[in-house]
Amino acid sequence: MAEPAGERAKPLLPGLPDEISVWEILLRLPPKCVLRCRAVCPVWRRATSARGFLLAHHARQPVLHLLYGYDFVGDDIESLSIVPFDHRAGVAAADQLHSVARLAHDSSRLHDCFLLEACCDGLLIVSVQYPPKLSICNPATRQLAPLPQLDGFMLLGMYPHPPTGEYRLLLYLLPTDLAPEAHDGSYVFTLGSGQPPRHIACPEAKELRHSPESILFRGCLHWCIGNLMMAFDTIAESFRQVRSPVGPGYSHLIEMGDTLGISSHSEEPASVNIWMMQDYEGEVWTFKYRVELPIAEIKEQFGKSVDYWDVVAVPWDDDVLLLVKFDDCLLQVDIHGKLVASFCRRGLGPTNLRIKQTLVQHAFFPTLEGYVVNSLPFV
Amino acid sequence: MATREAGKKMIMLKSPDGMEFEVEEAVAMESQTIRKMIEDDCADTAILIPNINSKILSRVIEYCNKHVPTTGATGAAASDTVAPAALAEDLKIWDAEFIKVNRATRFDLIQAASYLNIKGLLDLTSQTTIDTISDNSLEEIRSFLSTKNDYLPEEEQTIRRENQWAFQ
Repeated sequence: MAEPAGERAKPLLPGLPDEISVWEILLRLPPKCVLRCRAVCPVWRRATSARGFLLAHHARQPVLHLLYGYDFVGDDIESLSIVPFDHRAGVAAADQLHSVARLAHDSSRLHDCFLLEACCDGLLIVSVQYPPKLSICNPATRQLAPLPQLDGFMLLGMYPHPPTGEYRLLLYLLPTDLAPEAHDGSYVFTLGSGQPPRHIACPEAKELRHSPESILFRGCLHWCIGNLMMAFDTIAESFRQVRSPVGPGYSHLIEMGDTLGISSHSEEPASVNIWMMQDYEGEVWTFKYRVELPIAEIKEQFGKSVDYWDVVAVPWDDDVLLLVKFDDCLLQVDIHGKLVASFCRRGLGPTNLRIKQTLVQHAFFPTLEGYVVNSLPFV
Repeated sequence: MATREAGKKMIMLKSPDGMEFEVEEAVAMESQTIRKMIEDDCADTAILIPNINSKILSRVIEYCNKHVPTTGATGAAASDTVAPAALAEDLKIWDAEFIKVNRATRFDLIQAASYLNIKGLLDLTSQTTIDTISDNSLEEIRSFLSTKNDYLPEEEQTIRRENQWAFQ
């Protein structure tokens, strides 16, 4: 864009040095607002498009738990809303559930709706069900690209690889899958590398196929299925088993600052047990709380017909908060078993994924075949 | 170093227009910049605060006085007698009154808070401008900036299209 002479001298905000306007004002704007600001004037556009600004802006973003929000037309699911749950102090209840983006699936196959599979920083892996087809997506910049080279693989996790700055996916391939000549076991795929997934053996990861999402903690991906807990060292590319304090049943990992936790409950939860890993190296766990869910109160307030219960524990200040999906409501229960808030919206539920939104341009997106920005499936 | 009231350490802050402000060391140390000077023993008898005039500096001190943790000389923390939630609510109301100033003063306070590294004051003073930018249309933002639209109509259309969802 041609710039008139003297453009440089024009301040971003008259009365403030540009350095302060950038680092104390523009950097504090929410991601969507930063994009909007680019249309104010060329100097604002330049300031809010610089890579250094975008990296610093990403670093400032809060890490928020992700909710899935299915949008219905009649009884059919039309699209998936990607909803970060903003439960920071001072955020009004009405502002806690702003969808970042909405993904509509192929309308001729109504049951093939999108699923949230993995999230790392601001990047999401989404899939379309049966057979799962994976795509990489940045909801904040509305970029999406399919990853057809991963057809047939099961996704175990996603992680940044600090030595190279790459984002990588950990996958598992079953011998019975699409390519019979392929080796079964674990694979590592680098986003944007153009190479097929790289076989790293590690057959022990087979157990993780049906696990809920992984948690990245101290450079390792962690999973917990029932009483089996495993960790994958993302640098050494090896698995190890970790001692788990819980018995069989449903269990989820929680990352709380510099501590790893587990929440566990039975199929029809009346209570949820929370454990914290007191000593990570020594694998020493301590029992923190047993949260009795206020079931009678919930049933009385929100209806007696129960589709299913889904409970996810999320970090909250120095404690945890339980997100309970009950029928068409998402309820927040504190560690004392007190119902603190409720959102009634059909199709809204918790995931164990966390997002830290980013407007940084990732070089791999435009290189991927089928890459789209701000067009279908985004609606 | 001067002392007053049951051994409370006092610090002298000087503005470039020659005014001097005697403040408790704990109050001055709400500023991370001053805290570092004191901890590094660079603060002798008086600290000159460059670029911040006496009008703004006195307001900054007023803010720090209000926000300094209230473990007083009486030995009992104020939070022992007043519920923390009520205390926080009181501070919020006080902050809302404090920030009712014109834009020029607010911008001067942002610069002072940034230089002195007082996080709470920086958050408070920048939030009003952030809200203005977040809540208003492009035209309103331009009028707030007293700037005209420098884009050619087609340029603005392209940028709007590139970020179309941000305008919904």
